[in-house]
Amino acid sequence: MEEPIISFDNVSKVYTLYKNDRDRMKALFVRPKTAKDHRALSKVSFKINRGESVGIIGDNGAGKSTLLKMITGVSFPTEGTVTVNGKVAALLELTAGFSLEMTGRENIYLKGYILGLKDDFIKTIEEDIVDFAQIGDYIDQPVRTYSSGMKMRLGFAINVNIDPDILVIDEALSVGDAKFKKKCKDKISSIIKEGKTVLYVSHSKESVKEMCPRSIYLKKGELIFDGPTVEALKVYTEQKK
Amino acid sequence: MFDIFKEHKGFGRQIVLLAKNELIKTYKGSAVGPLWAVVKPLFTLFVYWFAFSIGLRGNKVVEVANIHGETIGYPIFIFILVGFVPWCFISDSIIFGARSIRDNRQFVTKVSFPVSTIMSFTVLSKLFVHFLLVGCMYIYVIFTTGGPSIYNIQFIMYCPLMFLFFLVLSWSTAPMSAFSLDFFNIINSIMSGLFWLSSVIYSSYDLEEGWLRVIMLFNPINYFTNGYRNAFLYKRWFWDYPQFPLETLIFVAEFALLFVLGLYNYKRLRKKIADVL
Repeated sequence: MEEPIISFDNVSKVYTLYKNDRDRMKALFVRPKTAKDHRALSKVSFKINRGESVGIIGDNGAGKSTLLKMITGVSFPTEGTVTVNGKVAALLELTAGFSLEMTGRENIYLKGYILGLKDDFIKTIEEDIVDFAQIGDYIDQPVRTYSSGMKMRLGFAINVNIDPDILVIDEALSVGDAKFKKKCKDKISSIIKEGKTVLYVSHSKESVKEMCPRSIYLKKGELIFDGPTVEALKVYTEQKK
Repeated sequence: MFDIFKEHKGFGRQIVLLAKNELIKTYKGSAVGPLWAVVKPLFTLFVYWFAFSIGLRGNKVVEVANIHGETIGYPIFIFILVGFVPWCFISDSIIFGARSIRDNRQFVTKVSFPVSTIMSFTVLSKLFVHFLLVGCMYIYVIFTTGGPSIYNIQFIMYCPLMFLFFLVLSWSTAPMSAFSLDFFNIINSIMSGLFWLSSVIYSSYDLEEGWLRVIMLFNPINYFTNGYRNAFLYKRWFWDYPQFPLETLIFVAEFALLFVLGLYNYKRLRKKIADVL
């Protein structure tokens, strides 16, 4: 049996909320009595195999973002273990993590290093990224001079061209004009066809059905259903009533 | 326990690039740019010199005992200068080191980033400025003390040691400041007072009270300001100072303690920082 590419084993995430800043200061040394816990995820377990496309559905505050943050390695579980075996490209906040004073090209390298890529490999994808982003000579200008559309295009171009093993997509993603949007959709489709693992977060039932055969339904931090998308959506609609 | 070292692996070039980037961020948009890095400390230095030498009409020389127990007077300007240059680095690296994670929060909350390298590139960027200041200082020292001397090479011991010491300090202060702004404010307030408790405008080696001289050895800042003076002004080796064994012992113990605390605090807070920033 092949090792799953993403595995959540009894994962809980508890955010500690402090009443005020004094308590936060205190919390550096002891746990203040007034601190409250907010459980964002509660004992969530699932496994995702290489090449699967999985939709994640749920209302606001169900824990979708927390779950994605753990997969992208930004946040860490309070209990349980998260295992991710591969490069993650997150199409969530595309402009995040740019260093504004560096040029676009330098940011490609920065992003590459963060993902653990080697110089040689980044060199091979550098031109692909520049072509895809369509920002022309701006690539050698500091990112702070970019328009928001250019930043997003560069962010998208980097993320899809680093040859990710796992692609995390937020449906609410918007990347500029219709033409570029189409280009992005095509690229995502081709990545899926290549057999990459895709996680897709959405409120739109139609697009989840279209893209993912399997879905995970979260409600108030608990995993309610994990299985075929059609059934997951059925449970989701029922519970909503 | 050794997360910090793992995070630095293979990230060396990137740290240098980010340090450079940090400098651009600090000095962009100003006409003279990096010159500010020299002008600002120079002005402060002038103020101290003015206050002590002219305003207070104090001594124009600082008296320091040499290895034979004789007293030698050094002009107050060069005396302050040689202590002030390391102080600038120390003060900057403590303050900016402590706030580095806060200032670079986009690397913590948005992407999976080797967070401990933030402290490295921040303190490294201050080291670049330090090199510039040392260069200026050295030119002045050469012209006023009669050329370079062999004792100057102690710089290559003191400078890296100073860099490491205050980098290791930031392993504790940066995550803690990221967690609580009050903690950073405490550091900030301490810094303004610490100047007067450190051997910058006077010589802690030459205080009258013997016990006070020993107490001053516990302030690691003195280790470096006195060290720079050994190298550039006093023209003696660090082991020539009579209290050298005790001084070294205290310093090494403090370094070791900070190192352990740094590893511990970083490990303890690393995974929580993204949630609180």
